Amino acid sequence: MGLKDDLDRYREVGEQRRQDLEEFIQYGDLGESRRDEVRIPIKIIDLPEFAYDQREMGGVGQGQDGTPEPGDPVGEPEPGDGDEEGDPGEEGGDHEYYEMDPEEFAEELDEQLGLDLDPKGKKVIEEVEGDFTDITRTGPTGTLDFERLFKEGLKRKLAMDFDRDYVRAALQIDGWGPARVFEWARSDENLPVSRVWIENAYDEIPADDRTVYESLDEMEANVERTDTAQRIRREGVDQVPFRREDERYRYPEVVEERERNVVVVNIRDVSGSMRQKKRELVERTFTPLDWYLQGKYDNAEFVYIAHDADAWEVEREDFFGIRSGGGTRISSAYELALERLDEEYPWADWNRYVFAAGDSENSSNDTEKNVIPLMERIDANLHAYVETQPSGNAINATHAEEVENHFGDDDNVAVAYVTRPADVTEGIYEILSTEESDDYE
Amino acid sequence: MKSPDDIRMQREAQSLQGPVEAANDLAQRLGLEPYDVNYWVVDYDDMNELIAYGGFQSRYPHWRWGMSYDRQQKQSQFLGGKAFEIVNNDNPAHAFLQMSNSRSDQKAVITHVEAHSDFFANNEWFGMFSRDPDAAAMLSRHAESIEEFMQDTDIKRAEVERFIDHVLCLEDNIDQYQPYEPIDETDAAEADIEYGDVSEELGDLDLSEEVQQQVFDDEWLETQREDDDTVRFPIEPEKDILAFLRKHGKQYDEDAEKAVELTDWQQDVLEILRTEAYYFAPQKMTKIMNEGWASYWESLMMADENFAGADEFITYADHMSKVLGSGGMNPYSLGLELWEYIENTENRRHVVEALLCTEGITWRNFHDTVDFEAVLDLLEPDPLVAAVDAEALEEVPAEDPRIDAESLEAARDGDVNLEKYPWKLFTYEGLAERHYSLVKPANRGYIARISMEELERISRYMFDTERYATIEEALADVDYTVGWHRMREIRESHNDVTFVDEFLTQEFVDEQNYFTYEYMRSSGDYRATSTDYEDVKKKLMLQLTNFGKPTIVVADGNYRNRNELLLEHRYNGVALDIQQAKDTLERVFQLWGRPVALRTIETTYDDHDIEVARRRDREPEPEETGRELRYDGTEFEEVELDWSAVDHLAATDIDYDTKPDEWLA
Repeated sequence: MGLKDDLDRYREVGEQRRQDLEEFIQYGDLGESRRDEVRIPIKIIDLPEFAYDQREMGGVGQGQDGTPEPGDPVGEPEPGDGDEEGDPGEEGGDHEYYEMDPEEFAEELDEQLGLDLDPKGKKVIEEVEGDFTDITRTGPTGTLDFERLFKEGLKRKLAMDFDRDYVRAALQIDGWGPARVFEWARSDENLPVSRVWIENAYDEIPADDRTVYESLDEMEANVERTDTAQRIRREGVDQVPFRREDERYRYPEVVEERERNVVVVNIRDVSGSMRQKKRELVERTFTPLDWYLQGKYDNAEFVYIAHDADAWEVEREDFFGIRSGGGTRISSAYELALERLDEEYPWADWNRYVFAAGDSENSSNDTEKNVIPLMERIDANLHAYVETQPSGNAINATHAEEVENHFGDDDNVAVAYVTRPADVTEGIYEILSTEESDDYE
Repeated sequence: MKSPDDIRMQREAQSLQGPVEAANDLAQRLGLEPYDVNYWVVDYDDMNELIAYGGFQSRYPHWRWGMSYDRQQKQSQFLGGKAFEIVNNDNPAHAFLQMSNSRSDQKAVITHVEAHSDFFANNEWFGMFSRDPDAAAMLSRHAESIEEFMQDTDIKRAEVERFIDHVLCLEDNIDQYQPYEPIDETDAAEADIEYGDVSEELGDLDLSEEVQQQVFDDEWLETQREDDDTVRFPIEPEKDILAFLRKHGKQYDEDAEKAVELTDWQQDVLEILRTEAYYFAPQKMTKIMNEGWASYWESLMMADENFAGADEFITYADHMSKVLGSGGMNPYSLGLELWEYIENTENRRHVVEALLCTEGITWRNFHDTVDFEAVLDLLEPDPLVAAVDAEALEEVPAEDPRIDAESLEAARDGDVNLEKYPWKLFTYEGLAERHYSLVKPANRGYIARISMEELERISRYMFDTERYATIEEALADVDYTVGWHRMREIRESHNDVTFVDEFLTQEFVDEQNYFTYEYMRSSGDYRATSTDYEDVKKKLMLQLTNFGKPTIVVADGNYRNRNELLLEHRYNGVALDIQQAKDTLERVFQLWGRPVALRTIETTYDDHDIEVARRRDREPEPEETGRELRYDGTEFEEVELDWSAVDHLAATDIDYDTKPDEWLA
């Protein structure tokens, strides 16, 4: 046991208590996360206690330059009071996050949504199973590292072992009772003997035999000590205390000979009709997709394209916030995507995902005349269009429908409809399961 | 074979030997009486571990240490928070210093630790647990016991952990104002009292009809029955909920579908955690005082007595600003400010008394008559104590009470380095004069600032008001040690609640810019509400009293006559966090084994009232209703109670609300 163990337990407890992944994607605060680190709020990490209602309580502040006038707003009270030292059980109570990397996120999402996307690509050479050299804490019994378990157990035994006969002899010194012997054994001799053991040993010694030696010196002169190694050689190891925490399982080292690369193109309609709610829905759908694919592949790159009637490339930070005034021409984005992909991410070397989102509004005929041919031209593992339409009453919004009709059950084109946060995970499932159903190999 | 780290650590520890001895010597000269302190130098990881463990090396296995370690690490990593030291309350105390501290940090930390140790040794609230807690051994015994339970093959580890979680939810529900009393088997075996009908018992006594008629008549029997109804269990409401559960708690057995006795290990765990709650309670109850006390003496030793060399002083100032600079209400700075305020006002009271005993000075003409600059000049420390000239030691009078004759002798022989440690030349009296607070630049306004009310109050109890002919004569009699003397008295008997209650004044609140704030229902945000010291005090009291937690007591252990547990919340105008209260009740059920209920008073705000209040620029009045939450192991039942059922819970004479009656628009 010890702090290492406490930390492991904390992580386990934290994992159990973190916000449910699906709930997090649908309603959680995605803004706390980074691209390479998903931060999921942990629901309650502090134990409950009888406490005051925070709002009813109010508080005391200290002005830095002068004192605020009654009536001045003072901002949210700060949790904690700037001192964490020497004060167990009293920590500031703000958010805690469970941090997972994209790999874990992808695994969790697979599990939760029942997905099983196998990252593939033409140039990827098969995984090779290496020697059984890596170790983990759990695994099939056959892979248990028994040698290690035995060694750890033996170490433990050695640490707990002591010369029993010698301590028994000390109990035979005239005038020495268990208390005295315990004191002597623990402080003078540093023997890991428990008080209970001494008391039991003392009870077992017949009363007549309790005064064999006059003094400690006499006992030492007459009794020969044996050290642990000698005793083990003489008596064998007897019983080795095995502990669950010493168990390690071997598993094969995974050798990969080639990196699997993925490029994800995110396209978003930023025209005037895309209001706050729609923008948020796009972010809720795209961000987990990015994490997921990043978790699935060794090397992930992202291209963000914003468009109204024209298209331009933007940084990720700006992607979900931009709003412009102009009309909408979705093909402009696909033209740019095609150009960027062919330039830097040849289909021969890269897995490609092209995700577009908008409210299905497009300039007349653009979908049929330009977008669909472009989608057919751009080689990709998956094309997806996410229609976000919180109001649900746009008249000329037919892009998603047209794409869906044209490609039908095609296994590399997905269309998802997300009209409220609750639809997000289903949309993600729709998109990711489309590729899953394809048998490429 | 020693690892390089061990060697570094040892070297660091050796190089601190000098400062440690010097700091202890200085602390004693300043009138402190610390426990002996063992100093250890530890690396960054060990330091974080010690902090997570509350200052000890070995604690029972639990995820919360992992959590605080994790937080501690992130805090120092990202927020620049820095761990300097941790010291535990033990005799001898153990202090752990971080190896990476700069030399001036180490010195500062040592002075800080000596003052903490003095506080542990002398504050009576710490004596409530034990004057000789042998804490490290106790906590490590606890750790061993709990580890044994966890390793026992008959007990599931997860079960032990869950049980610990349940108990920890109630760790503040002890009676910290009473000395710790262990509960052993005999206390616990105290049977639940059964109250039969007296008339049946009378029948058993085999009394004659006449006696029964005359002595135990029907009327008497009736009164007995009434009394019986009011005989409660516990007899008085019990604040130590953990003790009550230790004595009478059970657990619910799913298979048997009834409450069964707690197992031995469960009872042991409960008592272990209860003991630790009592052990740590004084630290929670005296945080402001204790941290302020340590900061006060640290700053006196480091800055005023140049315990840090000149080259170390800049980093020392940086260290101080890190400790005192963190935002919000900071116990270090509030404590330090209050101690300095006490020192100044006590010194001022003493000086003013002397001045009022001077011919021609009365409380009425005080501000007009007294030349405050002249007073301050007269109060300046004697050159004998103000500075030490190591070259001119022959002229220093050995018999002066302010001079340590022994040190003087040694210094003359060259055995004491007065360049480095000038304070070694002085006794307590000498140092008190040397560091007299009222003449320091920051405090020079104190005497002039005294209010008429206070002057009047002081003079009311004075006689012999013409003892001195001149202020020179009066001030010559001033005792420079009164401030420190008073401070030591206070550190012995007070806790944070009484400390703030007694010493927080309007003058203090104005000087330090303290104010209160409240959540506004009408505007939906927090607003400053008052700078009146009574209001600031109220809010601080709320945060400090009972660990800043609502007071919950066991009202009835035989509630509904079915051995259910009834808890009551002593309502002081501030409502409970109901969701948390429910979560906690679920835990209490695990320790009681039978249904548990909580009575409280809830404040609700009517939407219409909020709207009206907003328009009129006022705050809505809450409606207070009695409420009972009852948890039977599967679900909650909430009922509104008649006011008469909760009337006794509502405190009528306290009001923590600081919102002004009328908002000025």
